[in-house]
Amino acid sequence: MKLAVISCIHGNYEALNAVLSDIDTHRADQIYCLGDLAGYGPHPNAVVELVRSLDIPTCQGCWDEDIVEGLNACECSYPSQLAEKRGHLAHEWTNRAIHPEVRKYLATLPMTLRQDNLCFVHGSPNSQHEYLLPSMDGFAALERVLSAEADVLFCGHTHVPYLRELDNGTLSVKVQQPGQGETQHQFTAPLKRIVNAGSVGEPRHGRPNATYVLYDTDSAQVTLREVPYDYAKTCAAIIEQGLPPIFAWRLARGMEFAERADDPGHVCER
Amino acid sequence: MANWAILSGIEGNLAAYEAVLADIRRQRQPVTDLYIVGDLVGLRGDNEALVRRVRSPQPGEPIPQVCTGWWEEQCFSLHGLRGLPDAPELVDRDRLGTVKDLWEAVSRQTVLWLADLDFGFHELDCLLIHGSTVSYSDELTPETSPLTLCDRLIRADANTLFCGRSGLAFECWVEPSALQSTVTTLDQTAAPQEQGKSPRRVVGVGNVGRQAGQASYVLYNPGTNKVTFKQVQGSLAKGFGASKGLSHR
Repeated sequence: MKLAVISCIHGNYEALNAVLSDIDTHRADQIYCLGDLAGYGPHPNAVVELVRSLDIPTCQGCWDEDIVEGLNACECSYPSQLAEKRGHLAHEWTNRAIHPEVRKYLATLPMTLRQDNLCFVHGSPNSQHEYLLPSMDGFAALERVLSAEADVLFCGHTHVPYLRELDNGTLSVKVQQPGQGETQHQFTAPLKRIVNAGSVGEPRHGRPNATYVLYDTDSAQVTLREVPYDYAKTCAAIIEQGLPPIFAWRLARGMEFAERADDPGHVCER
Repeated sequence: MANWAILSGIEGNLAAYEAVLADIRRQRQPVTDLYIVGDLVGLRGDNEALVRRVRSPQPGEPIPQVCTGWWEEQCFSLHGLRGLPDAPELVDRDRLGTVKDLWEAVSRQTVLWLADLDFGFHELDCLLIHGSTVSYSDELTPETSPLTLCDRLIRADANTLFCGRSGLAFECWVEPSALQSTVTTLDQTAAPQEQGKSPRRVVGVGNVGRQAGQASYVLYNPGTNKVTFKQVQGSLAKGFGASKGLSHR
């Protein structure tokens, strides 16, 4: 069975259309979506309507949660107060633009989806806000996969696709308790994988192309896909809708942040 | 030379705390630092007297450094200071009217003092905390999955994690000896990286006030990296009973 896993569409209808066409070309049997349908982009309602019309199983992302619950995201990932302010502007715009039935739909989305030995989440099994970066300590990453009781953990949130294979995990434990003898045991973990689906609508891998992944459940083969689309159209819509123009500039370059700043004044208040 | 005494779970049991202080005074190598990693207060003990005692160490005694624990967090929740309103964790366990009991057991003035305490202490390469950095209610025991223990140590960025949530005394060395990690991106497949690392440990510091007539705590010598488990027997006639007649969990 061939699965397509998409994530972080962020109101980018053009990119979603292009990715769906690519998925069609590859004849995927099932699509999963890891959330963040809204936020940053100019077409949150159209994106949600398209995902719903195709009956794509979808997890709730952090932006979807914010639209439902009110701005509550941990914004530690913003590099500066300026970037955080822009994020708040995008949230306010989306909050105004979103249709009531779309908000209602976003509220129904589950945190986790499962299929056999596969688990699908937005950020991590612990939280929609946790970033599973490829540089994360291997044992901590392994803990996330095992805590999800899965062999393959699909996530998004970072907007950069990757496959991480964690093999031959071995831990030994020596326990000493007062009045009892020392006990030792060893723990081994078979191959576990983290597959980050990247981002359809706001890629941050250094190019403007949309990204997603294909997964073959029979061969366990993972294919990271990069799909060109007419991003200029989305950029124009961002500006036309009155969203911060720098989002368009960033989208056209596939940049992680519009600027890098070491801002000691930026403190997470959550 | 530094010598730490690390306590948890006094739960308002002043007699047990005094017994532990007396034991600390008897140590051949003087205790230089005294840490109390949460659950200073509890349901049944004389919390007000205990807090007064902790805040007013006698001459020559180390000044206690206290962080918050599960019972403190329930107080904050009950008093609307932080966390979820109406103490749902406490309500879930409310078989014996614990919400009312806790409300009456700790004054608001004391709760306000407790609310200024730290969540934990990072000292040298150690983290001293009630649960873990995940949560004050994170209960680490010798039965906890090795990978979870390893994760908590990595999150804590510590070689030794002292915790008190379980009330158990234990030393659990975790050696994440091998793990091969290979990352593939759109642009490349990086060479596999070996992620094994040196052993590190989780130490359960026991509890002072939960068990009738028996307190436990640990001594830690940062110079030698040695943990010593201490048990203090007390006389029930002197009031060294359990701080409560119900299970903590």
